[in-house]
This record gives sequence, structure tokens and C-alpha cells, in this order.
Amino acid sequence: MRGASNILTPAFRHDLIAGGVAGLIGGLVFWWALAAQGMAPDVPGLLGLHLLGAGVILHLLSSVLVGASFGAVLRYQPSGYAGTTSSGLLLGLLWWVAGPMSLGPLLEGAGPTWSIVEAQKVFPSLIGHLLYGGVTGLGFYIFVASYLYFRPRSEDLVPLPEVPKTRVLILGGGFGGIGTAQRLERLYSRVPGVEITLVSQSNYLLYTPMLAEVASSALEPQHISAPVRASCPHTRFHRGEVVDINTKDQVVRVRSGGSVPYEDLTYDRLVLALGSVANYFDLPGMAENSFKLKTLEDATRLRNHIIGLLEDVDVEPFDEERVSRLTFAVAGGGFAGIEAIAELFDMVHSVLHFYPTIQPPQLRFVLIHSRDRILPELGAQLGDYALRKLQARGIEFMLENRVTGAVPGAVLLGNGEILSTHTLVWTAGNQPNPLLKTLPCEKNRAGAVVVDGTLLVDGLTNVWAVGDCAQIPDPYNDGRPYPPTAQHALREGKVAAENIAAVIQGKPVKQFRFRAIGVLVGLGHRTAAAEIRGWRFSGLLAWLMWRTIYLSKLPGAEKKVRVALDWTIDLFFPRDIVVTSSLERNPILDGNPVPPASQEQPPDNGNDRTNAGDGTAGDGAE
Amino acid sequence: MKASQVLKNGVLPGGLAGLAGGLVLAAAMYELGRLDIFGQLAGVISQLAGFILVLAVSALLGAGFGVLVWYQRPNAGETLVWGLVYGVFWWYLGRLTMLPLLQGKGLTWDVDSARAAFPDLLGLILLGGIIGLAHVFLRRMFQVQAEAQQAGRASLFRGALAGLLSAYLLGVAADGQDQLLAFAGMAAGGSALAAWPVILLIGLLAGVGFAWLFTDSTGGAGVGLIRGIAYGFFWWVAGGLTLVPLITGSGLVWTATEVQIIFPTLPGYLLFGAAVALLYQFLGALIRLLFSEFLPGSSEEGLGTQGLRIVGRSGLAALVGGLLFSLVMWQTGFLPRVADLIGSSSPVTGFIVHLAIAGLIGLSYGILFRRQSYDVGSALGWGVSYGFFWAMLGPLTLMPVLLGGTPQWTADAAASVFPNLIGHLGYGAGLGVTFYILEARYSPWWVPRTEVQAARLERREEQVQTSGPALWTLLILLGLTLPILLAKGQGLTPVY
Repeated sequence: MRGASNILTPAFRHDLIAGGVAGLIGGLVFWWALAAQGMAPDVPGLLGLHLLGAGVILHLLSSVLVGASFGAVLRYQPSGYAGTTSSGLLLGLLWWVAGPMSLGPLLEGAGPTWSIVEAQKVFPSLIGHLLYGGVTGLGFYIFVASYLYFRPRSEDLVPLPEVPKTRVLILGGGFGGIGTAQRLERLYSRVPGVEITLVSQSNYLLYTPMLAEVASSALEPQHISAPVRASCPHTRFHRGEVVDINTKDQVVRVRSGGSVPYEDLTYDRLVLALGSVANYFDLPGMAENSFKLKTLEDATRLRNHIIGLLEDVDVEPFDEERVSRLTFAVAGGGFAGIEAIAELFDMVHSVLHFYPTIQPPQLRFVLIHSRDRILPELGAQLGDYALRKLQARGIEFMLENRVTGAVPGAVLLGNGEILSTHTLVWTAGNQPNPLLKTLPCEKNRAGAVVVDGTLLVDGLTNVWAVGDCAQIPDPYNDGRPYPPTAQHALREGKVAAENIAAVIQGKPVKQFRFRAIGVLVGLGHRTAAAEIRGWRFSGLLAWLMWRTIYLSKLPGAEKKVRVALDWTIDLFFPRDIVVTSSLERNPILDGNPVPPASQEQPPDNGNDRTNAGDGTAGDGAE
Repeated sequence: MKASQVLKNGVLPGGLAGLAGGLVLAAAMYELGRLDIFGQLAGVISQLAGFILVLAVSALLGAGFGVLVWYQRPNAGETLVWGLVYGVFWWYLGRLTMLPLLQGKGLTWDVDSARAAFPDLLGLILLGGIIGLAHVFLRRMFQVQAEAQQAGRASLFRGALAGLLSAYLLGVAADGQDQLLAFAGMAAGGSALAAWPVILLIGLLAGVGFAWLFTDSTGGAGVGLIRGIAYGFFWWVAGGLTLVPLITGSGLVWTATEVQIIFPTLPGYLLFGAAVALLYQFLGALIRLLFSEFLPGSSEEGLGTQGLRIVGRSGLAALVGGLLFSLVMWQTGFLPRVADLIGSSSPVTGFIVHLAIAGLIGLSYGILFRRQSYDVGSALGWGVSYGFFWAMLGPLTLMPVLLGGTPQWTADAAASVFPNLIGHLGYGAGLGVTFYILEARYSPWWVPRTEVQAARLERREEQVQTSGPALWTLLILLGLTLPILLAKGQGLTPVY
């Protein structure tokens, strides 16, 4: 048990001692009363001891122990003698039930019957226990009260001293950051000495594996995200952007929404959980002309864009434009890319009946991947399975090809081709948060800080790093870094929290060790591929597993219910095509204002109406 | 506590309350023909000596009560409960222990002596109740600043409604066992039609009284339920055993053998009190839900989050309690009877049914007693009190009904399910303590973490000042004592 030293506070100790002493007095009263009736408490007889004097000693010993347990349960409550005495009576009664009614017959070997006859037989003992309880309760109160009266400076009468606080600062509200905060909360829920603060730009923990389903209108955006304030109720949350980390002075500068431009947060222990951002490798036009899938905003934007395109195509007269608008491209054949293309395919087909001018053969879905095999994390067999399944649906794969640039309406490919499309989703590159570059510590090529096996950052003191922004050696894999996944980040956060607690308490820290449980990828249309502990699954079974596991990992019961409902609704109804953003301006038409609608009206009626309604203009002209 | 203050505002009203209670006690003892027995204590066999002695002792007890409840909230209902437990305790300490010693007879704590002193138990409970009620009003008179909240007309009406409904339920349950007349204080053979108005009148008075006494009491529905049981017990002694027989002219029947006959009225009144309290609170909640404005700070996490948490915690807590209880059931061979509920006789089925019931009751505990325990002591208190409630409602009432019979409220039935009572207490203890541990495990919910200990102390202190501890003790004390005293069984040699 953690914190045994915390439990045995001076207050608890004097409660125990006072309870024991009061129990001794209670036991003496009990002894005397029974002896006066020619009966003797037969504790030793029960234990098979028949020595002279053993009876008194054992009886008094048990009285002291039981009295101490009273002290531990009742605890001293100022001015609460009535309650303490009354509770003492209750505890005495419960001891009667536990002792003479249950333990006694058990030790005698007869076994308790708890019958009324038995109870009537030990009725004298009930009165004895009652007196014992009352005397012990009241005596306990009197002892502690007088102790505190004669030593007024002792702990209960003075206000709680200000405990020097250890400030733990967590940067980032992803799985790593939240995992750290939650474990720290649990470790320090009853210790006021540790203050946990979490800084993040978004006030929610996003369950990124389900982001593709938000983009495809299958799930509501809020349903896959849990507010930090709800997940970590005892953590001070700070919504803001980290702009500078000064590890020398142990201070972090944060820009937030208040009236002050920035705030400096000092820390004693720092956890870096800043995650990663999209990496476009400086490809021309990529950042401006592609969609990424990292945040809720990204997913909602992509969803609005695609449904907007369908609306546009429905009224688009030129075939060329129709083709490019109905071509959807995804760059990157990893988990995110595959799930994105599969979900987009499902969504567009599910809502197509709303757009009667669009025929299914006009749609084109293209995945561009730099290697010869998709889903490298899953192994050849499942990768091929996924490829086969998606190709069978009509999704095109451009393997061993890469995107080299993008302009509005087109994507440039590595083999020199140009793909006409208005939708390019970029999942082909991530990099650790660029802010880490400013830190005076070792970083790998991608820019992740290098940490040791205990998650402590090499070259910095009091700084730990977890999740996508850290390179953590995997002892099961010859020290190669762990992959940047949610299941790893969550566990890394917990270990970081435990190690911080260990450092605070001066205990040994532990190494982070974790064998990935498995990987799952949804392939849309009730199929998925999964590899769990070396076992491979595919098809409907894998899809069911995928949904169940994703649902169980979703943070918070409420969100689980909401997502389960969303999925159920999705089984019975088409996806929603409500566009929640305003109509985007068409850049080609910019500068060419749309002429007023009135000119295209039939001349006779339209003119009459205009004149009739606009007397002043007519007057001015004359 | 200043001595002069305590004397003026505690001891003096207490002593006066004691005198008032003493008058009632003396009258009851006179009615029972026991007044002169008290005279013997002063060495004179005379009614007057007995009268004076009763008054003196009552005044002393009242003064002591004034000191006892000095720090307690001056709430009428809660002080009443303190008075009741005070009375019962003095029966044990004064009547069964100190009196024989003073008389030089030597202690005899056996069942027979206790049975002989049974009328005094009822007398002391009545005395305690009156001291409690009188004390709170006298204290309010003496202490100007202790302004009490008055019951509004709406809540009195709510109480009346709750009382009438509960009385109806009580009447139906009693009628099923042919005990309706016992509740109305009528001799057997009377007309049930005449008994109903009496029962409904009791319900009306008890309901209004409940609303009036417990107007500004705090705590959730569960606390109210336990309070209701204690209130029901007061009505059993003051109403069922005292006022009703006096009004109907059948005379006081306070001896153990006589009370044994009308024992069915005891579970009846206790369950009646529980029903009054629950209905009263249910009606209040309904009114709040339908008609009240939004109160800032009243909103919580929402029923779903809260509910799931309760289900999880109370499920585990009920499992712990249920396993404790199953020890008793297994040892006493009660499991096949439980299995009988679903038409089976296998102990394994019985065990499963038992755990399912334990889970349901645990769930109700989680709903009723959420956020009521501040330490292991109060967790134990609420847990065993709730266990006692189910010991009456379960094996004595619901189970026989579900098995196709009528409630079994007789002394014999209560005595025969005594092991079950013990089991329920064990269940309640396990349930309450586990639930508390789970509830408090993830950081105490009622404070921001920085002031954990300070705020806990404060909340606990508040509860200590209510009647909580008195309620727990009263219920368990009576639950254990009354079946033992009122069950048939003689010729037993008392042992430790």
C-alpha cells in the first residue's frame, strides 16, 4: 500500500491510543459486571487456554485491541461526544454479533447458528458489550479532548499547515498528457502537496482513431472527444498555446485567451506530451491545398468540403469539372490513410441517392502510397487482404508513387502525372511538435526528444517526455523506438506519472515496458483487418472486434454510449449531408461579380416591379 | 462550552423537560400499578414516594440529556431520536445495571430479569422521547438566537398525504394477517370497518407530525428513510402502545407477555414510518421536479454518469455484503428457501438468487445513500441501519408475500428469522463500508483536492451534530433487543 506513512498521522496515532486506553477501562467495567454475576468472560476458554490469570489478560488485551479499533473507526470529532458515545454503543453491539454470536460458537467448534435461542443465551454479554461500547466511546472522546486541551498546539486545533507544493506541469492534452494527469490524480488524490496543471490548446482529449468516421459523417464530432476537465477533475486545466519552454529556470510561457498576452507557469516537474503535427516535407502547395486529419476541426472541414463538392457537382454543367470534383485522393497508405479512403468511399456512396445527377461510375477514389505495399504495420498477408478488398470496391491504388505538390484542382505526382482533384487528404507524414527544437537536449532526426527507459529526457533535469514527441527505447526490440500510437502514449503517461511520484517520494523509478497488444484497421463496409498478439483477423469478425475495442477504449462512459448510439443509427439511416459551414467563395469567379438576378427575369414584369417599388430613384433621375 | 451557558441553556431546559416527561412516566406507571414499586427504592411503599422519585430521576435524566445534546442541532425531530436512544440506553444502564446494584441485589443480566423490566423499557423510551421533544422547545425558548425554521403549510399537507397513503398500505398489510384490530387498539372480534378510521387518523397525525418535526433536517433520501423508521418506532411506543389503548379504553398493556401478542404492530409501525418518510420525500422531489425554478449549483453530472457510477460501486459493494450474508445463509441452511422464490430448491440457485437480490438492494442503497458517509463509522452506521430495514421488509414482509402468503409480523416469526437479521446486519456493514471506500477512493468528491482534510472534517462534524449516530444505534439496539426479549423461550442458562 502506498503512503503508509500518511495514514499513521499523529492524529490517527492518538486516536488509536485513546481508543485502546478507553477500551481497557471499558473492558474492566465489563469484567467486573460479569464477575459480579458469577460469570467470567471466557475468551481464553475459547482459545483452549485454561491457565490461571490468562482469562483476565486475554480479555483485557482484546478489550484494548477492540478499543483501538473503535478509535480508528470513530476518529476524534470535536464536540461530538454524543455521536461518539452513541456510535460506541453501535460498535459494541456489532462486536456482540461478531464475537459471542459468531466467533464464540465457531471457536467452540459448534458453528454459529445465530438463532434466537443462542442470542438469548448470550444476552448478558449483549448488555456487557453495550456498556463496554458506551464507556469506550465516551472515554475515547474524553481522552482525546483532554489531550488536545492540555496540548493546544497539537495538530487538530490549528488550521492545516500550508504544505509546500510540488507543481507538476503537463504540456499537451493527448493520450500521453491525459494518461499522466489521470495517474497523478489517482496517486495524489488525498495528498494536498502536489498540484497538477495541464496545458493544452484544445480543451478535450481527442480519440484520433475515430477521426475518419467523423470526416465521413458517421459520428458526431463531440462524441469522440472527452473534455479534459471531465477526464481530470482535479487537475488545473489551462487552455492555451505553449510558446516557450525554459528548462533552466523551470518556467513555461503560455499564450491563452485572457486579457494578458501570455502567462508564465513555473514547475517542479515537467511532462512533455506535445504530440505531433502534420509534416509536408516542404512540398510546394501542400499545406494550402490539402486536408489533414489531426483535429476535430480538420475532420469537420473535410466533411463539409466533400458534401459541398457533391452539391456543386449536382449543378455543374462542364464534364471536366465534374470529373475533378468527383475525384477524391488520399496520400499515405498507413492506418490513417486507409481508414480515411475507406470511410470517404462509404460516405459518398451512402448519400449518393440525394444527388440524382451523379452516377456511381463517375466517382473516383485514389490512394497514393510511396511503398509497394499498404499497411506496413500489419504484415504482408493482411496488407494484401486490405488491398484486395478495397480494390474490389473500386478504389484505385497508386503504389510506389508519391505526391510532389498540389495546386487548386490538381495534384502533382512523382511519376510526372497530374491528378485532377479538388480533394487531397494528407496522411503521409507527421513530425513531433516543432517547439521541441528549442529545447537544449538530444533529439532524433524527426525532432523527437530522446528519453531514457524511465521516460526522463536525456540531458535535462525534472523533464519527462511521452507520446509522439518522444523517442523511447523498446527493450523488447533491441532498444529501437516505440511506435507513436495511442495505446503506447497512454501507458507511457502512466509510467511517467508513477516515476514522478517515485522521484517525489524518493523511491526507485521504473522502466517503461510495454508489448503492443495489437493493431486494428477499419476498412469500411463492415470489414476490418486486425492483428492481436500475433493472431490475424479479417472481415466481419475483425470489424466487430475493431468496433468493440475502439468503443471500449473511448474515454468516458457517456461518450461510449453516444458513439454506440451513433453507430446504431448509422446502421438504419443514411449519413447526414448537412453542411455546417457557409458556402466557400469560388476563386475562379473572384473579381467577376455575379450580375443581379433581375436582368435575367422576363423584361416586362420585372421592370414594372422595380419601378413600382423605387420611387425615390426615379425622382432623382428626372 | 461555558459552564454558566450550559447550565442556563442546557441543564435547565433539560431538567424541566425531564419533569414534564416524569409526569407522563409517573402517570403511565400509576396506570400500570407500578408506581409504588418505585417507592420501594426510597424505602417507603407509597404512591407518593414513587411519584416523587420518578419525578426526581426524570429531572436528573433530563438535565443529563441537556448536556448530551448541547452541541447537537436543535432540530425537533433529531432531538427526539436522541431522546429515544437515551431512554433505551438508560434502561440498560440504569434499570438493568445500576438499580439492582443500588438495591444490593446484585447484577442479573439474564433474559428473564430483562423481561420482567420490560414495562420500564417502554416507560423510559416514552420518557426519552418526551424529554427530547420538550427539551428542544424549551431550549428554543431559553436561547433566543436558535431560530428554527417553521414547517410551511405545503409541507404539512405533503406530510398528511404521505401519512394517509402509508396508513392505507399499513392497513392492507395488517388486514392480510388479521391484525387490523391490533393496530386500532381494539379487542379481537371487532369490526374492521371501525378500525380503518382509527388507522387513517393515526396516519394523518403521524404524517403531519413527521413534516413538522423534520422540517429543516438535512441529508438525502436514505437518511430520511432511517429517520422514518425511528419515527415509526416512537409511534409504536407513544401511539400504538400508549395513546391508542388509552383512548379506546382497553388500558395499557406493557408487560413482555402482553406486548408479545401485539408484536405484529412493531414491524408494522417501523415499516409505516419508513413509508411515511419515503413518500414524504418522494412527493417533495416530485414537486421540486415539476414546479421549482432552476437553482444555481444544483446541477450535477447528470443521471447517466451518476447512475453508471452508482451501479458500478454499489454492485461491488453489494457483492461484498452479499457474500458476508451468504455465510449466514449457508450455515443456517436458508439458501433453499431463497431458491423457493423462483420455484427451485437447490442451494446453488438460492445462492444466485440471493446475490441477485443483494445486488438490487445494494443498488437502492447506492441511490439512497449516495454521498452520505464521511468516514468508516458513518458508513457502518448507514449500512447496518439499511440492513435492519431490509431485515423487516425482506424475510418478514416481502418474502412471505412473494411465496404466496401474507406478511409474517409475529414475535415467533421475528424470532425464527433472527439469523436472517444477523445476516442482514453483516450485509449492511459490508455494503456500507465497501460503498464508502469506493466512493471516497478516487479523491473525496465533495471538495477541491487542496482542502481535502479540512472540508471533510467540517462535513463530518455537521453530520455528527445531526441524529445520525443516534439513529444507527437506536435501530440496531432495538432490532437485536426486542426479538430476544419478546420471543418465546425459557429455561436458558445465560453464558458469556
